[in-house]
Order: sequence, then C-alpha cells, then structure tokens
Amino acid sequence: MLSVENVTVRRGRAQVLNDVSLTLAPGKTLAVVGESGAGKSTLIAAILDLVRVAAGQITWAGAPVRRCSPALVMQEPRRAFNPHLSLRRSVMEPLEAQGHVIDTSHLTTLCAGLEIALDLLDRRPTEVSIGQAQRVGILRALIAAPPLVLFDEPLSALDAVTQKHTARLIADLQREAGFAALIVTHDLGYAAAYADDIAVLRAGQVQERTPAARFVTAPQTDYGRTLRDAAFALGALERVA
Amino acid sequence: MTITATGLTATRAGRTILYQSEMRIAPGERVGLVGASGSGKSTLGHALIDTLRAAGHGVAHVPQSPDEALDPLRSMAFHWREAERALRSPPCPARQQELFAALRIAGGDLCKRPWSWSRGMQQRFVIALALIGTPDVLVMDEPTSALDPVVAAGTMDLLDRHLAHSDTALVLITHDLGLAARRVDRLMVMDAGRIVEDAPTAQVLASPTSGAARSLCAHRNWLELPC
Ligand SMILES: Nc1ncnc2c1ncn2[C@@H]1O[C@H](COP(=O)(O)OP(=O)(O)OP(=O)(O)O)[C@@H](O)[C@H]1O
Ligand SMILES: Nc1ncnc2c1ncn2[C@@H]1O[C@H](COP(=O)(O)OP(=O)(O)OP(=O)(O)O)[C@@H](O)[C@H]1O
Ligand SMILES: [Mg+2]
Ligand SMILES: [Mg+2]
Repeated sequence: MLSVENVTVRRGRAQVLNDVSLTLAPGKTLAVVGESGAGKSTLIAAILDLVRVAAGQITWAGAPVRRCSPALVMQEPRRAFNPHLSLRRSVMEPLEAQGHVIDTSHLTTLCAGLEIALDLLDRRPTEVSIGQAQRVGILRALIAAPPLVLFDEPLSALDAVTQKHTARLIADLQREAGFAALIVTHDLGYAAAYADDIAVLRAGQVQERTPAARFVTAPQTDYGRTLRDAAFALGALERVA
Repeated sequence: MTITATGLTATRAGRTILYQSEMRIAPGERVGLVGASGSGKSTLGHALIDTLRAAGHGVAHVPQSPDEALDPLRSMAFHWREAERALRSPPCPARQQELFAALRIAGGDLCKRPWSWSRGMQQRFVIALALIGTPDVLVMDEPTSALDPVVAAGTMDLLDRHLAHSDTALVLITHDLGLAARRVDRLMVMDAGRIVEDAPTAQVLASPTSGAARSLCAHRNWLELPC
C-alpha cells in the first residue's frame, strides 16, 4: 500500500504541500484532481523522492517507495524522453537496466492498443505529435508493469476516441497485473468513470476524498462542488443527448 | 476582409504530413480545428501561421506545449518585456495585472524561470502573452489542456471578452468537443493530414459527414450520468 503521511513540501518560501495524507491500496485507482498550481505534480515528485520532503513520510508496503521501481507518466510528454534517442531506445533502456526480458509480442500488443504505429518508435520525441509522445510515455510505464504507476495528466493531449481506448487499456492491464494507479487529471469525466476514489487538492491541501461515483452527485466540500459544476458547464460531464 | 491562406502543406523525412490545404477566416470569426491525435492539427496551425506572417498579417500563437514559447533560462518577467517590445507596445502594468488576475496567475513569481511555475500556470502565462496585442488571427493549440475546469472556464470567458470587441479571428485547436461546441462558430475536422469536413459547429455535431467527425462525436462523453 502507498502511504503518504502528513507530508509538507516547501519550494523557496512557498509551502507547496501542506500536511498531505493519502493512501492507495494495491490494484486500486486514486484520481487526484484540483486547481492548476495546487501541488499535484509536486505530490508525484514527493512520492518518487524527486523533491525534498520537509516533514512527513511516504512509503510503499512500509519501505521506501523507490524500492518498488514505480513508473511515471510525465505531464509534459516530450520532455519525458531523451531528445537524442529514438523513442524505442527510451522505452527499452529502463527495462534492460532492470534485467527484464523484452517480449516483442507484448510490445506489439501494447502498441496496437495505444494506437502507436511501430515505425513511430524509430523517431525521436520531437518527430511525433504531442499526443503520440504521450502514448509512448504510457507504453513505457505499462510495459514494465511495476506495482505502482503514477500518471500525471496521461490523456491531456489525446482526442476523445483515443482517450477512451487508452483509458480502457490502462484499466484492463491494471486488472491483469494488479498495479496501483495514482492518476492526476483535470478530466473529471475520466476520474468519475475509472477511479475508485477522487481526492481533491487545493493550495497544497487535500480538501476531500470521496468515492468517484459519489463525487459526481454529491461532492463533500464547496470547492469540490465548484469543480464538479465547472466540469458540467464545460461539457466534460454532460449527458449523452 | 476575409483572410485566405492557400497552399498549406508540410513534409517531414520525405513523408507528407499535411496535404495541400487552404483556410479562409473572416474577421472576428472563431474556427475550431479538431481531429484525432496525430492527424496534423498542430502542423496545419504552424503552416497557417507561417503563411499569414509571410503575407504581412499579425498572428499570435499559443503553442501546444509551453516549452515551445518559453526559454528555460529566462525569467517570466523577461519574456513579458520581450513580448511587449516585439509588439512595440509601451509597458503597461495595469494590463498585465488585469490579465494575470483573470487567468489566476497573479500569485506567480515573475522573477522565476518557467520551470518554477506549474505546467498549467505556464500555459496561462503564454495565453496572457498572446493577449497583449490585437493580431489579425490568434492561433491557440490546446490552450486548456493543462487547466482544471474552473480555471479553463475562466480562461475561455476572458478570451470571449477579449475577442468580443475586436476583429481578431480565433483558430482554436482542441481535442475537446464540449469546449468547441460552446466557443466556436465553425468546425474544421482533420484526418491523416487532410481537412475532411468544414461546416458550422452545430451542423458538424448534429450530423457529421466524415468518418473522423462521426467517431469523435460518438465518443464525446465518458459516461451517462444519472441527473
Ligand atoms: N521548482 C520549483 N520551484 C519553485 N516553485 C515551484 C517549483 N515547482 C513548482 N512550484 C510551485 O509549486 C506550486 C505547485 O506546482 P505543481 O506543479 O505541483 O502544481 P500542479 O497542481 O501540478 O499544477 P498543474 O495542474 O498546473 O500542472 C505552484 O505554485 C508552482 O509555482
Ligand atoms: N519530423 C517528423 N517526421 C515524421 N513525421 C512527423 C514529424 N513531425 C510530425 N510528424 C507526424 O505528423 C503527424 C501530424 O503531427 P501533428 O503534431 O500536427 O498532429 P496533431 O494533430 O497536432 O496531434 P496531437 O493531437 O497529438 O497534438 C503525426 O502523425 C506525426 O507523427
Ligand atoms: Mg502538474
Ligand atoms: Mg498537436
């Protein structure tokens, strides 16, 4: 289980995370939503030990999180890759470093599911569209199948059809492999459809944590309601006509 | 006068990624550009910008990734000064404050470099840069992709106010049909490097003719919600 206990992170003078506590059980999905600038990416960085935690503790099964080799899907898709390497090398290198045997048929199946043409992997990150780079980022995370995967806005650059296929693929693999998924997203429709729980972050604090189905009908806080209503108004949660 | 850009094409590594296309944009018009990921929307946006600028039109651009617009070694204040200078616009702190307040980035530290701002804050800063002047065309590539629903709505409302009293036309590239439905007059749909549909927004949403538009419309919603 991922356990984030009373975590505080400072950057410069600002307190970016303020006494944040969250848990995520193996195989479960937690969506983290909230205001842009609220500290969602910083939470992921803290879980991966990429920023210094001023107070509190973060563990996976009681041990430091790094020991379970978690995978990360980065918010800025192209920045996730070495610009000098082909995407294929960037996908393969971490696997090889961990001594995984690469099953080409598994790679081919995943690429098909993510609608990634195989020749695309021979290009560099600047030679594909941003949504294509985002899907290769998801491929790299899923192919390693670690027990914990952190997704930072994994569908933000995808069209509606590809979003739905990708979300379904992630959920199917999750069912097979049993990894826990922490998904940072602005898309409340995605969160409502696929997460077990939704945690709302605002100004570095967790406002509420609510089962996904209940969040859509009855958020527990004023900010949660504001967010839900705005998603409706934007069309992200609208009913099929 | 309607702006016309013809002969828009692009090839990379011997592959055509944008086939001969043209776009006509009336003053003050709002055009949405939608299509599958990789269909060529950003490429068409870039080709349009190059062609319009070569013809002497003023164009502002909000690229899909803030990385394309921001130099990682320069402060945000530097970017702002440079943008004002490029537009030969005298420094105007009041305008800056107004834009930043509406975009909710007034709390951002301008002395910092881009990577000290969150991704969505960078995106809004780049939008603010694009709203300094009054160009003929404003091309925005997925401008709300890193924004939460509250901030995204506020940003689009600011844009509406900004465009309401000007002749600036908007080309909005987006994967979000819900957003396009509410904000643009006309939709252009792309598929594999071609514009395959070009019609009033309501018409495309109600009776899409191309396969690409039909599948986008069919997948518009995540789930049927009990209301
Ligand atoms: N390297 C840094 N130095 C100083 N401040 C930072 C740094 N990185 C982030 N911050 C600040 O921390 C706050 C939280 O940033 P973070 O990137 O975690 O937000 P976020 O919730 O992921 O936002 P978004 O939805 O826009 O991606 C922001 O106010 C940001 O300006
Ligand atoms: N340097 C390159 N070499 C080969 N193909 C390229 C190159 N740059 C872009 N492409 C291809 O051109 C196509 C169009 O890319 P573009 O970035 O315009 O797509 P897009 O519609 O904006 O996608 P997204 O929604 O993912 O941003 C993609 O299929 C991409 O792989
Ligand atoms: Mg972020
Ligand atoms: Mg694009």
